[in-house]
Amino acid sequence: MITLNQLGKTFGTAMAVEDVSLTVPEGAFLVLLGPSGCGKTTILRMLAGLEHPTQGIIRFGDTVVADAGRGFTLEPGRRNAGLVFQSYALWPHMTVSGNVEWPLRVANLNREERRARVAEALEMLGVAKLANRYPGEISGGQQQRVAIARMIAPRPRVLLFDEPLSNLDATLRVEMRTELLRVHRATGATAVYVTHDQIEAMTMATHVAVMNGGKVEQFDTPQRLLSDPASAFVARFIGTPPANLIPVQDGSWFGMMPCAALRGASGHGMIRAEDLMLANAPEPGVIAANLVEVVPMAGRRLVTGLVQGQRLTAVTDPHSPLPADLHFRLPLAAAAIFDVQGRRVI
Amino acid sequence: MPIRPFRPLQLPAGLGLNLIVLLVLVLLVAAPLLTILMQTLAPDRIGAWRDVLASPLSPNLFWRPAANTMILGFGVATGCVLIGGLLAWLVVMTDMPFRRLIGFLATLPFMIPSFATALAWGTVFRNGRVGGGGGLLEGMGIAVPDALAWGMVPTMLVLIAHYYALAFTVIAAALATVNGDLVEAAQMTGANRRRVLFGIVLPVVMPAIIAGGSLCFAAAVSNFAAPALLGLPVRMQTLSTRLFGMIEIGQVERGYVLAILLIAISAVFLALGNRLLAGRRSFATISGKGGRARRFALGTARLPLTALALLICVLTTIVPILLLIAASLAPMASALFSNWTLQFWIGDADPAFARGQAGILNNPQLLRALSLTMGLGAIVALIANVIGILIAVALTRHRLRGISEAVSQLSFLPMLLPGIAFGAAYIALYGAPIGPLPALYGTTTLLALALTAAMLPFAVQTGRATVAQISGDIDEAARLTGAGFLRRIGAITLPLASRGLIASLLLCFVNVVSDLAIVVLLYTPTTPLFSVLSYRYASDGFHQFANAVTLVILAISTLAAGLAALLRGRNRPWLSS
Repeated sequence: MITLNQLGKTFGTAMAVEDVSLTVPEGAFLVLLGPSGCGKTTILRMLAGLEHPTQGIIRFGDTVVADAGRGFTLEPGRRNAGLVFQSYALWPHMTVSGNVEWPLRVANLNREERRARVAEALEMLGVAKLANRYPGEISGGQQQRVAIARMIAPRPRVLLFDEPLSNLDATLRVEMRTELLRVHRATGATAVYVTHDQIEAMTMATHVAVMNGGKVEQFDTPQRLLSDPASAFVARFIGTPPANLIPVQDGSWFGMMPCAALRGASGHGMIRAEDLMLANAPEPGVIAANLVEVVPMAGRRLVTGLVQGQRLTAVTDPHSPLPADLHFRLPLAAAAIFDVQGRRVI
Repeated sequence: MPIRPFRPLQLPAGLGLNLIVLLVLVLLVAAPLLTILMQTLAPDRIGAWRDVLASPLSPNLFWRPAANTMILGFGVATGCVLIGGLLAWLVVMTDMPFRRLIGFLATLPFMIPSFATALAWGTVFRNGRVGGGGGLLEGMGIAVPDALAWGMVPTMLVLIAHYYALAFTVIAAALATVNGDLVEAAQMTGANRRRVLFGIVLPVVMPAIIAGGSLCFAAAVSNFAAPALLGLPVRMQTLSTRLFGMIEIGQVERGYVLAILLIAISAVFLALGNRLLAGRRSFATISGKGGRARRFALGTARLPLTALALLICVLTTIVPILLLIAASLAPMASALFSNWTLQFWIGDADPAFARGQAGILNNPQLLRALSLTMGLGAIVALIANVIGILIAVALTRHRLRGISEAVSQLSFLPMLLPGIAFGAAYIALYGAPIGPLPALYGTTTLLALALTAAMLPFAVQTGRATVAQISGDIDEAARLTGAGFLRRIGAITLPLASRGLIASLLLCFVNVVSDLAIVVLLYTPTTPLFSVLSYRYASDGFHQFANAVTLVILAISTLAAGLAALLRGRNRPWLSS
């Protein structure tokens, strides 16, 4: 179990993380998701013990590992946590097995135990054959696997990942996602994973904290982020394709198509791509658009058009013909309504 | 039946260019070296090898100088790695204040010619043993022991003060790569500081330490000025001073043998260093986004270490220059700060003063030397860089099996050659008439040829960077717009490459102006050069004049080097963040 209690971090006068509180159970896979500079990596580094919080408390289980109020932080090495760096940070002067073994040596394990653990970790990540190579002699994907093996060999209870897949190509990234989940399940440890890629978050996480400007916008399961976004920021960030956020003025779509279900709100109304229909001709509840792109996807077809400079995307049946003159039919009600500040209203 | 088009014999593209640069390199680099070797192997001269290596003379000719050279090499390498390494660690990895300033100062000593540092040392520590006045310390009534005034100890200290900048640069760059994630990954395991230092940091920078050490070793054994100024007065000989002496007194064959042996020693150690660096554990290939730098807190040691670092930097950069300035104004080095006079700079010849020597700015020979030195610097810089670009084009655009390897090896060879041995090789080849061509000894042309060859390694490096710009994506992007070759050169390549090229020209110029080792064997009274004049003045006991001339060299080279640094921009990655 990991608990963050009103966690905050300032660098000089800059506020990197502000009042973050959340709890995930033992064995959870928590993803910290957000654009660059949102404070997610700072939180991860505070969890690792490489950065000291200026506010709040971090607990691993019942153990307090950092308490800004008391000025207390537990050394990184005594937190029973492992970290995979974005750069992998493999020690270039040690072989693959040397890299995995060194932390075990620091932990004063005996020779047989070390050998067994190194073999087990390398085996689990499928890099046993590379044991005697140096990091400079293996590919990026293999370096990644070695970095993970090095992390899990001491059997930490907390696994920390700092955008570990961002340096890999697309195919390898998908493969490594599966691999990471397998390792996570096999170890039973609690994982915290930092990424800016919402697909990684949606596919891997049991819990997601969507972050923006040092704060948590929403802390929820992937499913609930989709079904029930807490803010316009979350709604725009999550989903493939993400939902359409249409400007609303005084209860009218685009300020010109009044709709009772909007209840006079101003801000944005959310319409999921699967709720947006295509239409042939103008009529009430239908709006004209300029076709931008048509993307076939997994047996469906994504049709994107531009309305008043705003992109709208609909998921449609691939076999129905495209209207000659693209129009979108809006549903009777918005899935969610956000005010001008982006807060959820309905 | 299809008509086969007539095709003339096709030569590989760039063959002509490759052959031309190869010819230039053979004439400039390979031929002198081969000549010096062949001349010592000629039947009537081969005895020189026995004289040097196995005869009653050989302890004096070779073995003792060789022992001194090795002691000097190892001592300087060790000292440089310790001091350069300490400064690099402080600047890159700790929370020491003034890191930028110290990081900048620590790269400067290399810019100051080693004879300047050696002269400054003499100003303070000289004693009356070899005649002439004592230095500052004796003037203050402190007896300076011989060991500190002359010989091995001062030579070694001066060379360390001169070359530690090399070790600093190499080690700081390596430390900058280990900083951040690699160290944090070790901290995550719970390893303590000591263990991180010895288990991770030191092993990762070890290649850089070895590289820095072997560079300093090679530089120290090749150095001529410091042992000549501080060792020769008490007959401490190194291979370079011995080689100089042999050729000066006309025993050229023995001199040539010594030159070959000096080249061999320097090459063996550079090769050993390379050997240790090569192999599987070449660490440079690890990439990845560097993490934020994390600095060791020095705690209570912060102030003492900062003071130490500043002291080292100030003592090796500003203090020698200030001493030289004072010593060029004071009639007596023992009273460095009294009775200052400009006599040594602008005085008229006066029999009551310094045996009738005029001040350097009133001395026609010196003015001639000034224009000759500057002119030589400019011409050599220009020619070396033109050849450098041609070689770079041949190497990157038109690689030809066999020829390209030879071109590349030959163009970097001068880097490995001790300057004075290089000078000896030039005498061996161009000192005597070759066929219809006259002997070049005593001409400016000989100086220019030798210096051009010595500058080639730098010039080729810059040339490669320039050519990379010409043939890269940037140029292709311009080609797609339809711009012609000349237009692209003018609009894209030159603007991009000009800063680097001008910087390279300036640095070559600085190297030529402040070189002593290569020219000390080649100059004659008809071709006086500034550095040689400074050396001559110093060895004749006219220290004030030597100091004044050295200051002029320093001023010129500092200006040029500063300009080059400005043009290059701050290329010191270890100073960032």
